Amino acid sequence: MTSKKTPARLGLPDLGVGVGMRIPHYEDLLDHPEPARMDWLEIISENFMLGGGLPRYNLGRALSRYPLVQHGVSLSIGETAPLDYEYLGKLKALLRETKSPWVSDHLCWTGAHGVNLHDLLPLPYTEEAVKHVAARAREVQDFLGVRLILENVSSYLTYTSSAMKEWEFLTAIAEEADVGLLLDCNNIYVSSFNHGFDPREFVDGVPHARVVQIHLAGHTNYGKYIIDTHSAPVIDPVWDLYRQAIQRCGPVSTLVEWDDDIPPFAELCAEAEKARVIRDEVARDAAA
Amino acid sequence: MTPPREPLDAVMAFLEPAFRRVDALEGDATIAGECAAHVTGNSRLTPAEQVDIYRRQYWLRHVDALADDYPGVAYLLGEEGFDAFLRAYLLAHPPRHKSLRDLGADVVAFSQGHAFPAALRAVTLEMIAYEHAFIDLFDGAEPPPLDPQKLTSMPEDAWERARIVIHPLLVRRQVRFAVHRLRLQAKSSDVAPLAAPPSEAPANLVLFRDDNQIRFEELDGTAFALLDALARGEALGPACEEVAATLDAEAADQLGAQVGPWFQQWTARRWIVDVVV
Repeated sequence: MTSKKTPARLGLPDLGVGVGMRIPHYEDLLDHPEPARMDWLEIISENFMLGGGLPRYNLGRALSRYPLVQHGVSLSIGETAPLDYEYLGKLKALLRETKSPWVSDHLCWTGAHGVNLHDLLPLPYTEEAVKHVAARAREVQDFLGVRLILENVSSYLTYTSSAMKEWEFLTAIAEEADVGLLLDCNNIYVSSFNHGFDPREFVDGVPHARVVQIHLAGHTNYGKYIIDTHSAPVIDPVWDLYRQAIQRCGPVSTLVEWDDDIPPFAELCAEAEKARVIRDEVARDAAA
Repeated sequence: MTPPREPLDAVMAFLEPAFRRVDALEGDATIAGECAAHVTGNSRLTPAEQVDIYRRQYWLRHVDALADDYPGVAYLLGEEGFDAFLRAYLLAHPPRHKSLRDLGADVVAFSQGHAFPAALRAVTLEMIAYEHAFIDLFDGAEPPPLDPQKLTSMPEDAWERARIVIHPLLVRRQVRFAVHRLRLQAKSSDVAPLAAPPSEAPANLVLFRDDNQIRFEELDGTAFALLDALARGEALGPACEEVAATLDAEAADQLGAQVGPWFQQWTARRWIVDVVV
C-alpha cells in the first residue's frame, strides 16, 4: 500500500520508543541526575498551553533532557463550528518552544453548540465527513507550519449513516488533506471488539507511508464492550497488531500511553522495552 | 464551496445533549428511538446502550475533574452533598472551555444560588472561593522579578509617592472560617469525616506562589490592610495614611516602624514585583 511517491513516515524521523510524560513519573524522568533511557516523550499540548507555574517549569526541564512531541486532545477536527484560532495560536506558540517535529490530535469531534464534552467522539464515515474534515485538517496544518497527524480513536458506537470502513475513512482524509497518521493499535483493537471487524484488516488498510507515529496502551474489558482506559498493560493481541504495523510501515516512532492506575516508572519502561524488542525483531527479519 | 454538512450537524445536534442527559437513555422510549435513527447498535448493545456509554463517561469525567479542584468543599459537604452540588453545577453550566482546567469557571457565582445545608452554607461559600483561587495561581504567568537596582537607586524622598506593585497572582482573602486549615485537613491521608460544622475562626490570608508551590500565610490585620491598599494601587504614603486612620493613636505611631520589615519580608517572598515612582 506504500505509495511510490510518498516517502516512509512522510519523510519525518523515527524517534524510537517513548512514553507519555505524566506527573507521577516526573521524579524518574526529570529529577534523576541522568535522564531515563527513553528516546523521546510525548506531552499533552493542552496541559502546557499556560502562562507559567509548575507545568511550564517542568516543561522546561523536560525539554533540556528529551525530544518532545506534542499530542492534543482538543482540536475537534470533526466539529462543524469554525476552527478556533485562539486555540490554534496557543498551539503554534507551544510548537515554537518544543520544536515538536509534528503535532498530533484525534480524528474526532469533542463538542458542538459551544459545549465541549471533553471526549474523543467518533464521526460518521461518510464522503461528506471526509470533505469536511480534510478541508479543516489542511487549514490547520497550513496554519501550524508542521505536519499534522491524526489518530484513529476508540469508539463505542457506530452510525447508521456510515458508508465506509473506518480505515477507508481515515485513509481518504489523510490522502485528501495530505496529513499523517498516528496509528493507535490499542484503539484499533478496542473498536474491532466493539464493532466486530478484523483489526488486522485495519492495519493492512491504511496508507503505511503516512504512518508517522504509533500508540500502544491498555484498556478495560467490560464483557459486552471495551473502554480505552489506558489503565493496564498492553495485551498480547495489541502487541501482535503492533508487530504487523511495524512490518508494514517500517520503523515508526512508538509511544506507550498509561494514564490511569499509573504504575511505577519501571513497569512503564518494561512496556516500552517490549516495543523496542519487537521493532528490533522486525528489523532483523526484514534484513535477513 | 463549503461541502454540505446536514447529516453531520444532525448527528451532533442529537448526540451532544444526549451525552449530557442525567438519566440512562435506555429507559426512555422516545430517546431510545432517536438513538436508533442515528446509531446502529450491535448484537450485544442496543443503540441507546451504545450512546449511554458516552453519557456515563461524560459525568464521570467532569465530576472527577471538578472534585480534584475542590477537596475542601468535598470535605465540608460529604460525598453525597458534594456530588449533588457538582452535578447541579454541570447541568447549569455545561463545559464550554477546551481545557478541563477551566471547567469550574462559573463555580463561585453558581454556588451563591445553590441550596447548601444552612449550617454549612457560609463556610462552604468561603471554601469554594478560596479553592477556586488556586487555579489561576497554579499556572498563571510569572511577572518579571523586582529589579534590586530600582530599590537602591530610589531617592529617600520618593518612597512617599512610590507605587508598590504587588504580584498579580497574589490572592488576599479575609475569611470568617479557617478554610486554609480545613483544606489541609481535607487533603491529609487520614482525614475523618466532618463531625460538626466548623466554628468561626477569622483570618487574614495571603495565597501566593513560591518556587512553583502554592502557599498561604496569615497576616495580622494592619499588615493585611496595608498590603490590600497597595494592591489596590495606592501609593505608599497614602496607603499608610489610610491604614493609620483605622488604628488607635498608639498603633498608628508604631506603623512607621513596621512598614520597613514588612517591605523586606514581602520583597523576599516576591510579593512585590516593582516599585514605580
